[in-house]
Amino acid sequence: MELSITLIISAILFGIGLYGALGQTNLVMIMMGVELMLGASMLNLVAFWRFLHPETFSLQMFVLVVMTVMALEAAVGFGIATQRFRTKGSIESEEASDLKG
Amino acid sequence: MNETRFIFLIFFGLVAIWFGWRVFMTSSMVRSALSLLASMVAIGAMFFAMEAEFLGVLQIMMMATEMSIMAIFMMMYMMDPGGLMGMDMSHQKSASISGGILVGAFAIGVAMLTSWGGMALEAPLPSKQNHDLGIEVMKRSMMIFESAGVSILVAMIAATATALPYKNNQL
Amino acid sequence: MSQTIYWITTIFLFVAGVYLLAVMERWITYGRFDLLAPFKRSLALLGQESVTPRKMDKVFYETAPLLFIVATLMAAMVLPFGKGSPAIDLATGALFINAALAYIMVSILMAGWAPNGVYAMIGGWRFLGQLIAYSMPIVMAITATVMRAESMALTEIVNSQQSLWNIIYQPVGFLLFYLSAMAMAFLPPFDLPTAPGTLAGGVWAEFTAERLLVFRIGRLALIMTLSLATNVLFLGGWYGPWLPDYLWTFLKTLAVAASFFGVSRFAVRIRYDSLLEWSWKFATPAALFNILWVGILLLL
Repeated sequence: MELSITLIISAILFGIGLYGALGQTNLVMIMMGVELMLGASMLNLVAFWRFLHPETFSLQMFVLVVMTVMALEAAVGFGIATQRFRTKGSIESEEASDLKG
Repeated sequence: MNETRFIFLIFFGLVAIWFGWRVFMTSSMVRSALSLLASMVAIGAMFFAMEAEFLGVLQIMMMATEMSIMAIFMMMYMMDPGGLMGMDMSHQKSASISGGILVGAFAIGVAMLTSWGGMALEAPLPSKQNHDLGIEVMKRSMMIFESAGVSILVAMIAATATALPYKNNQL
Repeated sequence: MSQTIYWITTIFLFVAGVYLLAVMERWITYGRFDLLAPFKRSLALLGQESVTPRKMDKVFYETAPLLFIVATLMAAMVLPFGKGSPAIDLATGALFINAALAYIMVSILMAGWAPNGVYAMIGGWRFLGQLIAYSMPIVMAITATVMRAESMALTEIVNSQQSLWNIIYQPVGFLLFYLSAMAMAFLPPFDLPTAPGTLAGGVWAEFTAERLLVFRIGRLALIMTLSLATNVLFLGGWYGPWLPDYLWTFLKTLAVAASFFGVSRFAVRIRYDSLLEWSWKFATPAALFNILWVGILLLL
């Protein structure tokens, strides 16, 4: 029951994050959507650890890795945003069609 | 089942969902970054409710810095009315809304329909958790931990190199 | 000692500490010793008309002072005063201090953004850079003390210093923690977010009356908390001869706070770019060196 409610909450958060990542035009807002999805996945991992396998610590280890990924995604994303802003003066994804191959 | 924990989980879950929703609904950049922070803190509080103390504290600590940095970057790169007038910066609305709802409903369906088996009743004490997590990191998952460290280094170099301005003599 | 007496003693000592800090700040800064000054100042602020700026961000404007004081008190709650169990004995106490103090930054950011003013906003963004730069050395210095105690619980960290205080065991870590704590509480050599000379009050410029009072009390409580943390992590907590343990903690904490004020009385305000440069180029490598140093000492 507690596991199910946590999974439902994280599924809703994931849905909101996906909406943000798909529907927003701005690069930083897209990154916020991705962060929300990663947060939902961390919630899932912790719920699995607590309610299914509290003696296995690889799950907590995995949460640490996901947190690292969140920080890295933000860092590289901001790097790209800075470069886009330097060259084009905007970080709207609609105006990035020149990145097509 | 533990009633107090159940109530805490539902309460903080609702807080997380509400602020997660506000992220894409406000018309002020700083508000939307700090809403995301509030959502992440609620997730950290849910970690606390699930007795993962170290992860909860780590989540709360890391997100404060990360979301503040996000706020300053949003300020720098977006046209920002500061919440004083409306703005709309979304595209492909119907597709993204239906995508979000479909994926969320699918995940809920999976969560409800799977039989998860017996629930564990007791979690180890926080001090024992810290100890065991350290042993796990330093013994069995050493390789994964090291690769996470290397990827942090790679991302540092990549982010700095990407953000550097072009010089004329380059390329 | 029973739990109730413990709680009452801790709260009384903390409040008395904040009060004495208010007196001491006035004494050291202006050279006037006046035991009633904090009450007079509070009454004056309470009687002031509470002016609010036009077109502000109302939610943040009201939340920022409260978040400031709540974050400070959260950090203070896990710090042990004496041998009995501390208020909340977290197994990850050392990390929790840093997590709670990160919200000082969020609060100042909110306070800088909310009033819709230029000086306030510059102050807020300045503090963001300052605190990110200085939370690196602070968290690494804490890590070194955790390594010595082999536990993140603060009582264990104090117990590990029974024979030799951490200030002698890892002097570099103490120095880094001391300076970073001053930067975190934006005391004068590092007071760039408020900067009375250049920014005309900075983040607090648009806050008046009771909100400013909450900020002022929160800042004093923050200095008290950081001195207490310095004491617990580096100065042996409650260990000392003759006197009871609570009194030792209290005296050491006040001494650390007095030294904070003394340094800020005589130091020159640092330029913002050199502040960040020193943190990233010198303090962070020094903190890594400190971790290496403690590791070698532990293996010997």
